[in-house]
Amino acid sequence: MTIDFPFIWIAFKELLKAAPLTLTLTFVPVIIGFFIGLSVAMIRAYNLKFLSRIANGYVSFFRGTPAIMHIMLIYFGIPLLLDILIDYFHLRIQSNSIPIVLFVIIALSLTAGSYLSEIIRSGISSVSKGQTEAAYAIGMNTFQVVKRIILPQALAQSIPNFTNLIIGFLHTTSIAFLVSQKEITGAANIIASKNLKFLEAFIAAGLLYWIITAIIEAVSYVVEKKAKAYTNSAI
Amino acid sequence: MGKVFDPVLIIEFIPTLIKYLGITLEILVYSTMLGTLIGIVAAIPKLFHIPVLKQMITLYISFIRGTPILIQLFLVYYGLPAILMLWNIDITRMDALYFVIITYSLSNGAIFAEIFRGAISAIDYGQTEAAYSIGMTRFQSFSRIIFPQSIRIAFPNISNSIIGSLKDTSLAFTIGVMDMMGRGETLIASTAHALEVYISLAIVYYIVVVILEKVFKISERYLNRYQPNETATI
Repeated sequence: MTIDFPFIWIAFKELLKAAPLTLTLTFVPVIIGFFIGLSVAMIRAYNLKFLSRIANGYVSFFRGTPAIMHIMLIYFGIPLLLDILIDYFHLRIQSNSIPIVLFVIIALSLTAGSYLSEIIRSGISSVSKGQTEAAYAIGMNTFQVVKRIILPQALAQSIPNFTNLIIGFLHTTSIAFLVSQKEITGAANIIASKNLKFLEAFIAAGLLYWIITAIIEAVSYVVEKKAKAYTNSAI
Repeated sequence: MGKVFDPVLIIEFIPTLIKYLGITLEILVYSTMLGTLIGIVAAIPKLFHIPVLKQMITLYISFIRGTPILIQLFLVYYGLPAILMLWNIDITRMDALYFVIITYSLSNGAIFAEIFRGAISAIDYGQTEAAYSIGMTRFQSFSRIIFPQSIRIAFPNISNSIIGSLKDTSLAFTIGVMDMMGRGETLIASTAHALEVYISLAIVYYIVVVILEKVFKISERYLNRYQPNETATI
């Protein structure tokens, strides 16, 4: 068994066509998850009675089980729920007409939400109490304090963590191939089994992921510099 | 699908799945131990700025952090036999479990190397100077002053990545390892109750993670016993 180097390039070009799906599966869940995470973090930061219990349970469960479990649970669970609802209301839609991508996005958004809420929470707790007190002292209300003082500082603080999470999710999307999605890993699998060149196809896939990761890291470096332009840290 | 959702099955599946928890934990324990070794070895060239080796380690860490664990798993599974074939060593019939352990060790090694390096460089240089000034050698100052302090800093990150890699082990079934997830897949094939199997799997993983978190929290408190209490904001 020798490595067929030209085939790596052929596979790489083929995999590039699958990259948009991987990027969609990465960024859409992270963006939806950001809003979930923000609300969950706020609920937990302000200790809203009943809601914060639910939020704690949600974060703990989704951080405690593998992402593949969430994809599978949503993939098998939601159609079942929908079927019951459709039967009950006598609707004319069918649950199997929903594209699988949607299930993957829902599952990954929920996963991203739980991780992001922890990141945002740690960002919030890194903003010193004096900032809040000063904001209240000049007559801001709670909403203003959160929006103008706490969040901008907390989010700027969390940029390295956001980058890690986005890269983590880029890698998590590779398990979407288990529910027959044709993203990079899925495409690599198809190319590999079509040509019986597994190693070459996965080397190409690895390179592609590596390049995307490097681009994300470079972008986040620039963003972090911009976001932290006004903070003078001790180090 | 086609079969009715049966909550009783969730409970019935758990004992069958728990029998295979051992394999999952075996992967986790071996890959963590080997990963720690690799991590220590890989952190040294970066800390002491050894030429060539440092660049190689940087490339290794960047590759591991830049590719999904699933791709790494496939690369080791298909690539390692191909490489060893050059020396006429045939490992194509080796148990898939070993490939999984090798992959996860390499992956953990890169992550641990970064954690160790970060923790050691987080120690104030004044500590080293103080150690030198009372006459310690370089080795003594490292093993008695720097290293014990850096463990405390590295511990939360290490425990996070151990929990992360427990969840990553659920991908081992893709190359045919019979761990908990693999057993779950065969259960689905034989009973066609997919949702129930995944719910019971989620329950087992969740319980294991909760136990691990408790253990890590206690150990962290033990490591921090000499630290003054810090007050949290908000």
